[in-house]
Amino acid sequence: MVSSKVLLEGASGKRFLLLGNEAIARGVLEAGVGVVTTYPGTPASEIADSISAVAPDAGLYMEYSTNEIVAIETAAGAAMCGVRALASMKHVGLNVAADAFITLAYVGVRGGFTIITADDPYCYSSQNEQDNRYYALLANVPCLEPSNPQEAKEMVSYSMNISEKLELPCLFRTTTRVSHTRGPVVFGPLKQPKLKGNFVKDVKRFVMVPAHARIQHKALLEKMERAKKISEESLYNKIVRNGSGMGVISSGAAYNYAVEAIDFLDVDASVLKLGMTFPFPEQKIVKFMEKHDQIVIVEELEPYLEMQVRAIAKNYVPHVKIHGKTITKYFPRFGELSTRLVVEALAKIAGKALPVAIKEIDEKYTQVSESVPPRPPVLCPGCPHRASFYVIKTVTKNRAIYSTDIGCYALGIQPPLRIGDTLVCMGASIGTACGISKVIEEDVVAVVGDSTFFHAAIPGLINAVYNNHKVTLVVLDNLTTAMTGHQPHPGTGKTGMKTRARKILIEDVARACNVKYVKVVDPFKIKEAMKTLKEGLKTRGPSVIIFRQPCALLVSSEKRRKGEKIVPVKISEKCTNCRVCIEAFGCPALYVENDRVMVNEALCTGCMVCAAICPYDAIEAGGSLDE
Amino acid sequence: MSNCNVVLAGVGGQGILLAANVLGSAAAKEGFNVRVSEIHGMAQRGGAVVCHMRIGDRVHAPTTMEGEADVIVGLEPVEALRNIKFASSQTWVLLNIEAIIPSTVSLGTAAYPSLQTIMKMIRLFAGKIVTIDAADLARKAGSVIAQNTVMLGALVATKKLPMRLETIKNAIRELVPPKYVKMNLEALELGYGVLRNSDEKRRDELDK
Ligand SMILES: Cc1ncc(C[n+]2csc(CCOP(=O)(O)OP(=O)(O)O)c2C)c(N)n1
Repeated sequence: MVSSKVLLEGASGKRFLLLGNEAIARGVLEAGVGVVTTYPGTPASEIADSISAVAPDAGLYMEYSTNEIVAIETAAGAAMCGVRALASMKHVGLNVAADAFITLAYVGVRGGFTIITADDPYCYSSQNEQDNRYYALLANVPCLEPSNPQEAKEMVSYSMNISEKLELPCLFRTTTRVSHTRGPVVFGPLKQPKLKGNFVKDVKRFVMVPAHARIQHKALLEKMERAKKISEESLYNKIVRNGSGMGVISSGAAYNYAVEAIDFLDVDASVLKLGMTFPFPEQKIVKFMEKHDQIVIVEELEPYLEMQVRAIAKNYVPHVKIHGKTITKYFPRFGELSTRLVVEALAKIAGKALPVAIKEIDEKYTQVSESVPPRPPVLCPGCPHRASFYVIKTVTKNRAIYSTDIGCYALGIQPPLRIGDTLVCMGASIGTACGISKVIEEDVVAVVGDSTFFHAAIPGLINAVYNNHKVTLVVLDNLTTAMTGHQPHPGTGKTGMKTRARKILIEDVARACNVKYVKVVDPFKIKEAMKTLKEGLKTRGPSVIIFRQPCALLVSSEKRRKGEKIVPVKISEKCTNCRVCIEAFGCPALYVENDRVMVNEALCTGCMVCAAICPYDAIEAGGSLDE
Repeated sequence: MSNCNVVLAGVGGQGILLAANVLGSAAAKEGFNVRVSEIHGMAQRGGAVVCHMRIGDRVHAPTTMEGEADVIVGLEPVEALRNIKFASSQTWVLLNIEAIIPSTVSLGTAAYPSLQTIMKMIRLFAGKIVTIDAADLARKAGSVIAQNTVMLGALVATKKLPMRLETIKNAIRELVPPKYVKMNLEALELGYGVLRNSDEKRRDELDK
């Protein structure tokens, strides 16, 4: 929410309060990066969104690529030509990009190349909580882990320098609590981005046929030997606290909880903070361990540091006791850490009494928590997805199998609509539907969003056509990537540089994939949409029906910008209190008070879908809005 | 200075992130070390939202530990209760009395407790509750959407923050779209005022 101007115009030496992701964006501007690519995803989105807001003025190129592998490849192309490049994505995005990522380590770069992976411990907004530090290990590339916004900003230049020195991509790993924490950030000077490079041909290096790959694999291992030295000497791997008791090793967001827990319990501890966690600074770790009888490793998710520390200890300091997630199991291997979890673990290890207050609070909280009604996230008032789901559910009489996909529409699983029987990863709706349809008799409806369609559903659709799977693909086209903050995609006609582009229409793509039944409907026109869906379900072979209606948030903000009034619905005396609008449709703008259906006029967008489905015509346009 | 921990709890769409950002910016302007935690994406969309704002030289973690909040700002009654673990007998809870009914309650799978019950349960944890009709005050300032700023005003009036009122006003001027600045400044004053007045009048009602 910081005005994007600050990122570009904030003076060197001044302090600003920035989100971790905004700090990274400033870091990009201070590192002279020429090309930034992304596919959006929480918690990474604001990195590229902030860059997009300033890119034309900053003189760098930015794009929302079709998906993560394309993002990495595009950025890598620029880096091969000597231009500094950065690709940012959420953790699962790196799975999509993994094929390119791993071989790119063999190929290497000429300009600095940083790949940002934003991991999401506790799955705040993700389908898993994988620990992407293992990707650095797998691919053999350096890994950097900032723990706060200031460090996050500085490490961009640092990683670009390492990348250029080694001619290797660097993996830059943040987590939700680094990306989405605001903290003070002192700006450094901007660096003019270099946008033009040159491609110096070198077939042995850039063309990974087997004969070249064998050689490049060895070259990669040699580069990583040099990287080890960098890690040993890195200022980001440092002892930040000297005590005489236990030794604590930590990195990233976990470090913050570790130092606060140490303060809280007042334990005597040394702390080794790691910012470069691959290659591991082996000798530094050995030296640190030699000074302590007990080592505690505080990290989130997998025992990534712990396994490496244990391996080192075995060779050099076998007598040292190591505590972490394995063997003594002081820390969980899932979810995110907190100061409290670290306090509890350290208290046990140090033989200190746990502060009683925490236990008391827990006990009291168990009593009250039952009285707190759950408040899950829901589809917004006026969301076109709700209307689409209503259509799907009514037409299929709730008897089909619904494979859903990733986006706002995943919230369709909530009552009362409950559409969504499988959800795996982007694009899996159509792929899993192919298999399901092969082996069951019921109708199979695959549901996918527009951004997800372009990102990952096209090969699945081609598969459905070519292998003749009887699947109906419903594309919920709200003309934006809504879930992650309304970024452009190839169907929107907009670009990351704020220029116009020619839209690619989903119906054209579907027809080009040889789908015979392709229709576009408006989910707000319930009857027509139902008729079309019925027809689509009857066709033999796959059908594609595009439910097109812009995201309600975009429509409302456009109206507000233009000064147009949003006219909410009102409930007339015809209402029989049957509650179909609430119990079958479930718009949050409708609620029950004193046993009557009421309209929350501040929430209602006037989409009129509830009016269309009301069996008694009791909902009409034109509620007052006196706010 | 000892740490100052504020927990803001409410519902996606109530402007919690903006409120926390205003506080954080004001703290940064006065040179304090500050952390503001945010949660985006799936966790918003009308769902429960909680934001921590922490100030102090020894602050590293983005979130407050159980029992360590100085103030819990509940923009919605049940959301204050959901986050009551952060309170101790030293904690003030500022409670907006305007309820937002969750979908689970509309659909009859859960019940919404009465305000009395909520307050009774909050008292099991927190030393002090101040109830605020933020919707009413926000309307007086110009629009119900300014409830977040009303609550900020009340927060400033607790004197638990190390920043000055004027700095917070400046942060509002910077972070709120220009056409809403005046309304928000007014909302801030109204929220500030309610606490100063009620403090005297309703002492026995407020104290445990
Ligand atoms: C591989 C991968 N990349 C990115 C994401 C993050 N992500 C979650 S939802 C979503 C947007 C989906 O947009 P769309 O399909 O248009 O649906 P909408 O949210 O607009 O309804 C994205 C990009 C992800 N989950 N997985």
